[in-house]
Amino acid sequence: MSKIRVIIDTDPGVDDAIALWLALASPELDVLGVTVVAGNVPLEATLKNACKIVALSGRTDVPVFAGAPGPLVREQVYGKYAHIGAFSHELVPDTASVPPQDEHAVDFLVRTLRQAALDSDPVTLCVIGPMTNIALALGMHPDVARGIRQIVSMSCAFTALGHRVPWAEFNVYADPHAAEKVFSSGVPLVIMPLDMTFQALIGSTDIEYLCQHGGEPGKAIAALLAAFDRTDIKRFGRDGGPVHDATTIAWLLQPALFSCVAATVGVEVSGKTAGYTYADFYRKLDTTPNATVIQSINESGFFSLLKQRISHYGTHEGIHTP
Amino acid sequence: MNPLAIIIDCDPGIDDAIALLSAFVSPELNILGICTVCGNQPLENTTRNALQITELGQRIDIPVFAGCHQPMLRAPIHGQFHGKTGLGNSEFAAPEKQAETQHAVNFLIEQCEAAAESDQPITLCVLGPMTNLATALRMKPQITAGIARVVMMGGACREAGNRTMTSEFNMLADPHAAHIVFSSSLPITMLPLDATHQVILTPEHVAGFVNIAGRISQPLGELMAFWDRNDPRRYGSRGGPLHDPLVIAFLLAPALFSTEKARVYVECDSELCMGQTVADWYGKTALTPNVDIVTGVDSEKVFALFYELLSRYAEGCP
Repeated sequence: MSKIRVIIDTDPGVDDAIALWLALASPELDVLGVTVVAGNVPLEATLKNACKIVALSGRTDVPVFAGAPGPLVREQVYGKYAHIGAFSHELVPDTASVPPQDEHAVDFLVRTLRQAALDSDPVTLCVIGPMTNIALALGMHPDVARGIRQIVSMSCAFTALGHRVPWAEFNVYADPHAAEKVFSSGVPLVIMPLDMTFQALIGSTDIEYLCQHGGEPGKAIAALLAAFDRTDIKRFGRDGGPVHDATTIAWLLQPALFSCVAATVGVEVSGKTAGYTYADFYRKLDTTPNATVIQSINESGFFSLLKQRISHYGTHEGIHTP
Repeated sequence: MNPLAIIIDCDPGIDDAIALLSAFVSPELNILGICTVCGNQPLENTTRNALQITELGQRIDIPVFAGCHQPMLRAPIHGQFHGKTGLGNSEFAAPEKQAETQHAVNFLIEQCEAAAESDQPITLCVLGPMTNLATALRMKPQITAGIARVVMMGGACREAGNRTMTSEFNMLADPHAAHIVFSSSLPITMLPLDATHQVILTPEHVAGFVNIAGRISQPLGELMAFWDRNDPRRYGSRGGPLHDPLVIAFLLAPALFSTEKARVYVECDSELCMGQTVADWYGKTALTPNVDIVTGVDSEKVFALFYELLSRYAEGCP
């Protein structure tokens, strides 16, 4: 079976790191590149983190590209842990050097996706940060949209309330205009909203397993989750914290772990509730659905997959460049 | 004196075409390239038109770069006064010259980075929606170091809009791009409708240009004749406002223009006022003024300048 060609657009970020390590350990995926955007932390830090994450995976063949340093229109906001900046050496050790490419992330996206359109071999985008890079690329050439098979996006909050602010999920809140551009682009969307990501909470047993069996990335995941604990018993009613971004990769690998519904998805770009997203679950609008909205996740199946893949890093052979 | 290094970002467009033809015969200007954008016409047409005008002006030495095919966020709108092709009823042969393969946004970034490196910043002349420049700024904000100034045609400050009640076409076509440029740190000279409505190209002027413009007389006359709005109620006479060419006139003869400094804000939320440019004339906001708004034009001398410029096509030059 041929591999799924994918570009991961990211703003690492703890859960971005888990998503990247999951992707880089999965032979089903051909990761063409990692494009980086400002988001959880400023671009300088997300870029440094992305390079360290890729380096620690051993997949030094995967190029990393620096993208947009801020949102399209709104003023910049960062994640809850922005003050931390780049991951320290203690959390994610520096190993082999993976320097960022000279080419801009947007140029890489435009070049790769236009070629994909020409070859009729469109690429999947896994978008797990603010959508600024994708929006800019879509605006550069009409073939960019044609070169995208689907955008799998960790974004939005529908039945769940927001997390960075009460009305919005962070990736949309950080650049609502970019989200609007992506949602209205006509490209097939798969949305992993907070409604679903809040259903899969990683607990201490699984973290311990990753730490023991997952090699260097496994240890780093444990250290990151300990340093930036997302446990919120009051909100989730039980122990454990969500690993939002990693669900996008899991969906590519095992879609049967999820249930979904087609819906029209839209976003408020300005005003007091900028970043608010809606999904027309009950067909109140006279529109053709633009998205597949993921509604539920098989929690134990998801963490089994995560543990199984991250364990590759701990085996004697480790992960090898294909 | 060294010629002024400029890039012209445009959406030809009849008045863009006149601006280009004027710039082509100005040795004071070193035109590094022409960028095109979706605006008065779809990108395909504005690019073709730019190529045709470089051929008409015999300046095929200037590279043409196709830019963004749509505004940053809004659905494209096009001009209403430029005819089917964007160049009125004029019939130009399909251009032999080709656009460069490099994207206009990448050309802008590359030139501005080089200009910053050599400490010889470029003047950007923006005659259409500001999509290309805004995209470049969002990709690489540090290119501002390579930009001396943005001289742009667009907006309406005390004057009413020309596409909607409040808004001038270029601002309405891509208000988000305009917002990005106006909220950047770049120094801007703005030629809004307040300025361009002081310079009406009347049928008498057109007859004058036809007399002096030598080998381009016929196509220039056709372009200019098509430009007649025939709306004396708004413009005080027959004719049409010479919007985009004023950018070139300003570069060549700034003394013919008077400016007022203010911070300018662009509305990009309200559908009613979308694209409105609001000038803070009296310092009501906390931000420092960043725009030199042209509010006065010596129209007679500006026409004299254009007569002089376009008569150069009669002298066998360039």
